[in-house]
Formats: sequence, C-alpha cells, structure tokens
Amino acid sequence: MYIIGENIHIMADKVKAGIKERDAGFFQKLAVAQVEAGAQALDINLGPRKKDWEEIFPWMVKTVEAVTDVPLVLDSTNLLGIEAGLKVITKAQPIINSMSAEEERLESVPLIAKKYNAKIVALTMAKSGIPVSADERVGLVIEKLIPRALEIDFPVEDLIIDPLVLTVSGCQEYAPELIEAVRTLQVVWDPPPAISVGLSNVSNAVPDENRSLINRVYCAMLMGVGLQMIIADPFDEPQNEVIRVIEKRDDSTPVGKLYLTISDRVAAMEEPSIDDVDMSDPEQAAIWKTVQILLNKVIYADSYLQQ
Amino acid sequence: MSIEIPKDKWPGAVQTVTLGATAEQGGTRTKVVTIGGEQTLPFMHFESETPNRPVIAMEMSSSRPGGWSQVLQDTWGDVLDDPAKWAQACEQAGAELIVLMFGLTDADDNPITPDFAVQTVKAVLEATGLPLVVLGPGQVDIDNAILVPIADATKGERLVLGLCEEGNYRTIVAAAMANDHLVLGRTPMDVNLAKQLNILMTDMGLPRDRIIMDPTTGALGYGIEYGYSVMERLRLAALQGDAMTQLPLMVNPGFESWKTKESKVGEGVPDAWGDWAERGVHWETVTAVSLIEAGADVVVLRHPDSLTRVKESIDELMAAEPV
Repeated sequence: MYIIGENIHIMADKVKAGIKERDAGFFQKLAVAQVEAGAQALDINLGPRKKDWEEIFPWMVKTVEAVTDVPLVLDSTNLLGIEAGLKVITKAQPIINSMSAEEERLESVPLIAKKYNAKIVALTMAKSGIPVSADERVGLVIEKLIPRALEIDFPVEDLIIDPLVLTVSGCQEYAPELIEAVRTLQVVWDPPPAISVGLSNVSNAVPDENRSLINRVYCAMLMGVGLQMIIADPFDEPQNEVIRVIEKRDDSTPVGKLYLTISDRVAAMEEPSIDDVDMSDPEQAAIWKTVQILLNKVIYADSYLQQ
Repeated sequence: MSIEIPKDKWPGAVQTVTLGATAEQGGTRTKVVTIGGEQTLPFMHFESETPNRPVIAMEMSSSRPGGWSQVLQDTWGDVLDDPAKWAQACEQAGAELIVLMFGLTDADDNPITPDFAVQTVKAVLEATGLPLVVLGPGQVDIDNAILVPIADATKGERLVLGLCEEGNYRTIVAAAMANDHLVLGRTPMDVNLAKQLNILMTDMGLPRDRIIMDPTTGALGYGIEYGYSVMERLRLAALQGDAMTQLPLMVNPGFESWKTKESKVGEGVPDAWGDWAERGVHWETVTAVSLIEAGADVVVLRHPDSLTRVKESIDELMAAEPV
C-alpha cells in the first residue's frame, strides 16, 4: 500500500499555528515522522492562502524538501499557489491535488501539470456534484478526465484517479458504490490508471472514538478490490496493521483472519457473512457492525456500535 | 394469461405502540389508539395485512395560537380560547388523537407555569376521552419544567410527551418511564440522527413500545420529497430488521402546510390560485395523504375539513383487497 501522509493539513490547529509562525522545524519533524511511519509521499494541504500564496507555497516546499526526498502532493484549490510551489520542487516528481471534471479545472490543471512534469489527482466530480453510482463516476473518468489528458498529450499514467470517499455519516449510500468504482476503474483503460482515495473521509463527522475502526475496515474492503494507494494518517497503527495483515495474508490471529476474510469476500464480489465472525469477541462484533454500515445494510448512527 | 405479482417477505416489522390507557389499564381514557405493526411497505395489502390504520390527530394549543392562518381561526372560532372546548371540538370533528401544544405564554401573555400546564392538561383530559400527546414549547428549560409535573400528575395515562431531541431527552424520558407515559422523539429530517436518538433513548431503559418518532417533514412544495425519502428509508430499514428504526412515525402536515404562503395568505395572490380556504385545505390534505403513503402512522392536522378528506383517503387505501 502506497500511503500519502495526510497530516500536514490546514484543518489541524497545530498546522495552522505552525504556518502562522513559519515554524519550519515543526513541519520538518512532522514530515520526517510521517515518512518514518511508512508514508511514501506527503500531502501538503495549506488551503487557498489567498493573501500569501506567493510566499507560503514555496516556503513549505523548500522546508519539507530540506528533510525528505519523497514526492510532495500539493493540495489546494489555489492553482497559482500550487504553481508557485511546483517552481521550487527539486526532488521527486510532484503531484497536484486536484483537478475534477468541472470545466475550469479540467482546462487549467493539466496544462500546469504538464509544464512542471507533475502527476495529477483527478476527482470524479462534475459541476453537478459527485455522482452516487459507481458507473457514473467511472463514466466521468472515461468521458472527461482521460480524454482531457490525451487531448494535451499528458501521460495517462501520470493521472491518479480519486473516485472520492464520502462520509458514512450522511452520505452512506456512496460507501458501497465507491468500492465498486475502485473495482471497475482498474479495467476501463489500458494501462489502468492509478487510483487513490482519501481514506479518512469515510469517517468525517463520526465521533473520534470510532473513526480509526471505520477507516481500517473500509481499508480492508478497498484492498479487496485492489486499491494500492491511499491518502491517510500514517501514524494510525491499527490501520497499518490491517494493511500488513492483508498484504502478507497473515491469518495467525482471529481478528487478522477476519479482516483477511472480509477483504477476500469483497474481492470475490461476495457479501461478508456473519458466519465469518465470532460475535462473542467484542472486537470482531464491532468490525462486523462496521462492515454492515459501510455496505449500507444498516443505517449509520453515531452509537451504531451500541446497537 | 395470469400474471404473478411478485411479493416481498420482510424479516422485520414496525413496533406496535398503544397510546392512552383506559380505567382498566390504569388511566382515564375512553378510547386508546394502537399504531405500528406493519410488516410491509404502506398499503401493500397483497404482501401482508396492515394491522393498524394510520391515525389522524388534531393539533390544538394551550391558548389562542399566534400566527395561525385566518382560515383556521375563522373555522374554529371561539373554542380557540378554551382548551377544553377546543379538545371537544376536535373529537367531534373526528379526531382519533389530540396533540396539545404549549406556547411560551398564556392567554394574558404571562410566561406559562408548571401549575398552568398541569391544569390545562387535566382540563383537556376531562373534556375528551381521546388519548393525548403533550408537547412543550420547545425550549429545554421550560419543556422540562412543565413536562415533569405533567407526567407526575397524569401517571398511568400513557400520554405521549415531547419533544425529545438529542440535546434534551433525558429528563423527559425519565419522567415518562417513572409514570407509564410514552415519548415523541424529533430529529431534523435525517435518518442517521433519527436512529441515533432512538438508540440514546432506549439506552436509558425506555422500552421500544413507548417511543414514537417524528422525523420532521415539509409541506407540499416545501421539501415534502426530502421528508418522504427519510420516512421511506426508515421504513425500509425497519422492514429489513434494524430494531432502532422500527418505531412508528408521527408527522405534522398541519403545521407544515399552514405555514406556507399558499395557505396563510388570502390577499395579493394570483386569482388563478382560487378560493383561499379551499386551497389551504387542499394543501394540508395532499401533504397529509402523501406522508401517509410514505409510511406515516400518525398525521397531525389543523383543519376539520382536511380531517374528513384524509379519513376518506385512508378508508380507500385500507379497503384495497388482498390478492
């Protein structure tokens, strides 16, 4: 699993404070720690920075590149800021996060990416919003995102399709469709485009104590359909353990075996079965309940584990 | 050529809930109302019998309501100033259930007191033998201050007390549990929140047969499709076996439709809109019948003519022959 570390994100208070004080040491420590925890690239989400983009994007790129060699993912709606950052990249091939099938982004982002030899995270989102169904999301890739790359001779292998994970708390019907979108995207083009998702989005607006569980159960299900890249928290040890268990096919513990079974069931287009689960083990019961909400079989509620 | 109609067999059922208690059952009601028990989508009689008809409740207030459409004020007349008479008028109009709403103030514009609230509930209980839903004005402190003494003073009546919301359910649920009452839980048009509130209330030990849920809805032309979808999803989940969505649904087409411009305003509107009073009744009727089709177990109305028409619709919907 290729993990893009998500922790340099403007929504985090410490990141906000670090930017305000131009605390290079803070960001360098956070970057190194993420890479040491297993991140193979680093997402840098600074927000739009409408007033100081000209200074802040290059500053952040230089700050982080001073301590690590991994690719940087410049994550902003402000394309000027992204370009300012791209200009000072000296190490790995960078990634722009993101473009979508909305006309303006579709037009402008690939041109900038081509100019600076960057990859692009391309969202399956149109002006009308994010389609629920897997087919419609895949349709945007075939009809809009890839054709635009071909049109300007941008390498399709430098497109990273993000079929958009939405929260199970409020957008529950999207959760199983996303799994199918990931499955289908791997057969719609030759060579298949890279696929990445923002894993923790699945638990946005979920109480903190349940977020990691929902993230890692969804991760196991998505690995079943072949997902190989996520934007995620590399410090989430239980999540990393699930990734290891599935990659190594380690069924030596009952919980590990359950994760592997869930992943295999999804891979085989079967529904995970309660017969796979030892419901007397609270951890397995919680995993089972989480599978049920992620497949939209049982309506999500904040206290779904208490039901 | 014979056509075989496909039938669904659902694993779950809606909880059966009884409102009100007769003298034998520890209350004073002459009639009780039983709702819920459905094992299929609304009126799919060929799949499963509908054990209980949808129920029509009439809404009334502890004092003359400010802001009600002139159409409603003219229809009800002076009874609006006397809760006991108003309750009787609702019963005479054909209501099966009374919903008594408390405003923040009494008829003299003084803030309501627990004493006033208890006396008003007692007067209504004496005036009618129908089961009663009692709702506070919707401010946490005042709701708690009046609903607890009301619950104590009417122990055993199986009143429905509300509104329970996520930030304010503990006191009301505790008062209902201690005095053999029911509660109404309301959430703002969201299946996740509706289910969450049910989990929280049952976690306190309140049995499921003492909870009714109000998922909130909108009037015709004002978001009814969102309310409809939420109700439909809750009902489907209930039938699929999700215990925390299996509670009967009560919604307020009267409140929702009589606040729309079409119902509230008689002057300065296009002639093509037609007769004002008739329009208001139509709006309420169509809203209510649509919500019954979505799975409402109780609809709360404001106009007696709407009641008559909705009742006719229910008769027809219930009369369809099982295949």
